[in-house]
Amino acid sequence: MQPGAALLEALQEGSFAAAMRDSIWLYPVVETVHIIGFAILVGAVIMFDLRVLGVSKRVPVRMLAQYLLPWAVAALLLIVPAGFLMFSADATNLISNRAFVIKMVLLMLAATNAAAFHLGAFRNVDQWNQETRAPRSARLHAGASLLIWLGVITCGRMIAYV
Amino acid sequence: MTKTLTLALLAVSLVAAPAAAHHGWSSYDNDTAITLTGKITEASYTYPHGTIMLETPGKTWLAVLAPPSRMSARGLPSSDLSVGLQATVEGYPSRQDPKEMRAERITIHGRTIELR
Repeated sequence: MQPGAALLEALQEGSFAAAMRDSIWLYPVVETVHIIGFAILVGAVIMFDLRVLGVSKRVPVRMLAQYLLPWAVAALLLIVPAGFLMFSADATNLISNRAFVIKMVLLMLAATNAAAFHLGAFRNVDQWNQETRAPRSARLHAGASLLIWLGVITCGRMIAYV
Repeated sequence: MTKTLTLALLAVSLVAAPAAAHHGWSSYDNDTAITLTGKITEASYTYPHGTIMLETPGKTWLAVLAPPSRMSARGLPSSDLSVGLQATVEGYPSRQDPKEMRAERITIHGRTIELR
């Protein structure tokens, strides 16, 4: 815990963190970038999850994945640096903020769940690409993804209020 | 498959878990409004929210204010949060820290600025 705390303090004392705290416009701008990014990411993920769960079965799953998932990954380039900057501004407080900690756990769950889906059910997507019910494991991954991402957004918003 | 389901259930239960707090919203006692007048001994005009240390008779409080952009927009520039100035804050005491409060409004130089 001690080395971790020292690391957080070092991060918080860095020049980026100080700029985030002191500049009148930087923090709101970075926050806005974070929101634009996760609107794209979570929007894409949820649209894809709903398709796997059985909505709009005429849309080919593979084609939808090819369209949406690169956007979701690209959005991380906005979300992660912006989130890291906001974290650095108030690191020592955030680490003991329950909503923040739960959000980080949910993000790890989301990543694990997505990896499991792509290494598992998605490999046989050609068998359930269109006009077919997705296999149960695919639907469970999609349902879990939906709930986890709603949880991530809820916790993210709650950081300011708990 | 059961693993995924467990993950989903875990996610839901985590979201539903009661939130504890540090510097948050629910950590202030909304049923107890307090008004404090004193001298500013420290001030920070920083994100995510500004703060002042307010020296009142018998106790020095940490008053949590608002984000600098909001304070600036409402007519409370950083120069108004100067050490040595007299200020009055109205707000709610922290449930965790007996020396901390969240200010709903602040009065400096006879002008009252809403912070929420």
